[in-house]
Amino acid sequence: MSVYAMQATTTARPAGLLARAGAVPALLLAPCLIWIFAFFLLPLGLMCWRSLASEGFSLAPYAVLFTSPLYVKVLLTTVKMASIATVCALLLAYPIAYTLTVTGGKVRGAILLFILIPYWVDIIVRSFSWLIMLGDNGLINKAFIGLGLVSEPLALLYNAFSVLVAMTQILLPITIVTLFGAMLRIDRTLMAAATIHGAGEWQAFRHVFFPLSLPGVYGAGLLAFILALGFYVTPALLGSPKETMIAQTIMVDASQLLDWPQASAAAAVLLLITTTIAAIYNRYFSLDRLWGGSEP
Amino acid sequence: MSSSADTARASGARLELRNLSKAFAGVRAVDRLSLDVPAGAFVSLLGPSGSGKTTTLNLIAGFLAADTGDILLDGRSVADVPPHKRNIGMVFQSYSLFPHMTVADNVGFPLRMRTRLSREAAGKRIAGMLELVQLSHLAARYPRQLSGGQQQRVAMARALVSYPRLLLMDEPLGALDKKLREQMQIEIKRIHRSVGTTVVYVTHDQAEALTMSDIVVVMHQSRIAQVGSPRALYESPANLFVADFLGDSNLLPGRIVETAGAQAIVELGNGQVVRVARGEVTLMAGQKTVVLVRPEDMRVGEPADGQDAVSGRIAEVSYHGDSYRLEVAVGADRLKVRVPRFSGTDLAPGQDVQVVWRPDAARLVPVDAAKEG
Repeated sequence: MSVYAMQATTTARPAGLLARAGAVPALLLAPCLIWIFAFFLLPLGLMCWRSLASEGFSLAPYAVLFTSPLYVKVLLTTVKMASIATVCALLLAYPIAYTLTVTGGKVRGAILLFILIPYWVDIIVRSFSWLIMLGDNGLINKAFIGLGLVSEPLALLYNAFSVLVAMTQILLPITIVTLFGAMLRIDRTLMAAATIHGAGEWQAFRHVFFPLSLPGVYGAGLLAFILALGFYVTPALLGSPKETMIAQTIMVDASQLLDWPQASAAAAVLLLITTTIAAIYNRYFSLDRLWGGSEP
Repeated sequence: MSSSADTARASGARLELRNLSKAFAGVRAVDRLSLDVPAGAFVSLLGPSGSGKTTTLNLIAGFLAADTGDILLDGRSVADVPPHKRNIGMVFQSYSLFPHMTVADNVGFPLRMRTRLSREAAGKRIAGMLELVQLSHLAARYPRQLSGGQQQRVAMARALVSYPRLLLMDEPLGALDKKLREQMQIEIKRIHRSVGTTVVYVTHDQAEALTMSDIVVVMHQSRIAQVGSPRALYESPANLFVADFLGDSNLLPGRIVETAGAQAIVELGNGQVVRVARGEVTLMAGQKTVVLVRPEDMRVGEPADGQDAVSGRIAEVSYHGDSYRLEVAVGADRLKVRVPRFSGTDLAPGQDVQVVWRPDAARLVPVDAAKEG
């Protein structure tokens, strides 16, 4: 779980905070900065160091990562699964987030509650609950057999399908909330302006709202994708070896093979990929906007 | 949507509001409002905030549905016509330009939505509109690269490009500074003259309403307080609200003593008797009334033949560049007097003066006419 948490922290910290700091802000930030240094940057540095200097300086663990068919396959699987889950989460989240922007008061509150309750439930519990839903004797198969739609239970579990369903569901709340935040910042009078100047509801959405919501879509997608790259419990519980993702490999390296340099190298590469994506996004869309900052 | 937007050029619609009402959570925002706007007229809805003018505009646009009443364009009800099919142009307070489109694309938006013009024809129309608002050189810019005044002009061009029957403007100059606002007022009038569409203009700025409009509708507490030409409203307000709301005013309560031809004799609260032009108000002796005299119609000095005067003491003098404004204490009341800058230099607080005006500058304001309309 630690890789997961670390990634969220790195991306959530907009650059330039330090640069602008005067004396008072520096003082106010000090406890937080010390914390980040001692419990985040320092271990991270040690991890990277370990990946390079286990028995004298060596890039060997990295060479293994990019040459061993196992690691290459796992990395590709990780990117593939994370991409699909992200796209699914975005497709499902967009209409819900849009609905949230056009409802108000109690309805909005109720919808938000139903979005957030699963978010507060631990990932392990959420992943486990899919076992109950998707198993051979699970709710879905029982219902299908009961209805006579199928005679044999469908293979819903321990494959890419079950992993993606669960990943999507786990990514959904954060995706919805991020999209919703971005959509709320779209000036609704622009829709009125489109309407009075001849656009029907669909046209106003297509020509005005949707293009203006795209930065939010990219932002939510980025967030979901980075989170998805670090998934561990979900593929471990719901997948087969074919769906092994990088976090699982790191875990095996570290805890079963005790190959800490190798685990460190894999973690460092994962970190590099996520920060690179975040940096590219920041360059073109400005991360600040996602966190409520001003327009570029 | 008309079959060809081109035929609509230079023919604004006649707008009729029939007994229009709209309530929000039980509170009347617009209360039984009826209004006739002739084709091609420039009408202002003027009133303090909360008087219902923006709600009225939103009802005309179709963003809100009226609880009762009807809206007719050229005699035809638009109650069941959705906003995007009403062929109305609108300029919003915050301009509401599409931030992801260039100026040319913003202006072209109504054409893309409403017409099947070829690209060349649309391009020509957009170019013509940008020329009208004098922004041809900025066609490729994005709204955020423009100043407030320029965005305002783009909003005008977008609202007019499809030759709408009706142009709605919601406090369009509210965000601009004074100089630019005055410049844009002239600009908007010029554009109105050249396109000939009917304009409904919402503002809380009375100077704006008076200088730009053919007809001013003063709104108060969800109703129309008075409708008329700017001159009629300023010079013959139909009730106390309009008299007080428009311009500076001295409102002197009194009682009618007698009516004599075109004049009425009124006894003011302090016992002084003045003559007042009757106007078109029906009067009866003994009736309570209020006399309106505008500060700029008063002067200090000796009364000439046929002028009325009251004695008082100067309480305050303030310099306003083009004039001095005095507050003259008359008994318990205070009169506001405006004197030209060249004749105000000797005046100082504490001086005893006579405030003088011509009887035809004084007006009677019906006291309980506020419930009309």
